[in-house]
Amino acid sequence: MRRQDEPFEPDPVIEAYKRDVDRTLIRENLRLSVEERVEKLARLQEFAEELRRAGREQESQK
Amino acid sequence: MTDFRALTSLLANSAVEFIIVGGTAATVHGSARLTEDLDIVYRRTEDNLSRLVRSLAPYKPYLRGAPAGLPFSWDERTLRNGLNFTLNTTLGALDLLGEIAGGGDYEKLLPHSIRLQLYNIECYCLGLERLIHVKRAAGRPKDLETVAELEAILEERRRDA
Repeated sequence: MRRQDEPFEPDPVIEAYKRDVDRTLIRENLRLSVEERVEKLARLQEFAEELRRAGREQESQK
Repeated sequence: MTDFRALTSLLANSAVEFIIVGGTAATVHGSARLTEDLDIVYRRTEDNLSRLVRSLAPYKPYLRGAPAGLPFSWDERTLRNGLNFTLNTTLGALDLLGEIAGGGDYEKLLPHSIRLQLYNIECYCLGLERLIHVKRAAGRPKDLETVAELEAILEERRRDA
């Protein structure tokens, strides 16, 4: 089994996805406390709900 | 919508032994991805099953996606006879996992977990390295994208350390 400090074995698919990861968002999140990160998730979920509602309303008007 | 604060507070204040895993754990470590359910690995001792049943009973747990009217009894026997439960509650979506692929059960995951202070409660969350390990072990296509972000988080943290 791999030791804690050993890097993970590179996987070409993961490495390909990694190139598109927005690290600016990660760096912003790492500046937040854990509680702030979870609260941000809750606000994101509320926003997602509102987006879905708006999308459904727009669809129903077609 | 899932009330993460209410769910984690409820479980912790009811002395339920659990470890946060999945997307919420990823958020704890800095993920920018949206998750809409709380995934926890729960300890499967008789006492803990009782605490879990008692704490969630008022919030009407029911199998998520099951046809309405399907008999489902929220009690210790149901938990004992099953392992992983994908639930809706009046506090939102909660996945109760007895074990996870690549990680095992509560006892196996606990040494690889971190203790969080969250909303004036204390609870355990799977550590970032073990989270990456279990996501890799799950091997689902959707997990590969998640793993990429988690590994990027690990790299950023090591860079800052």
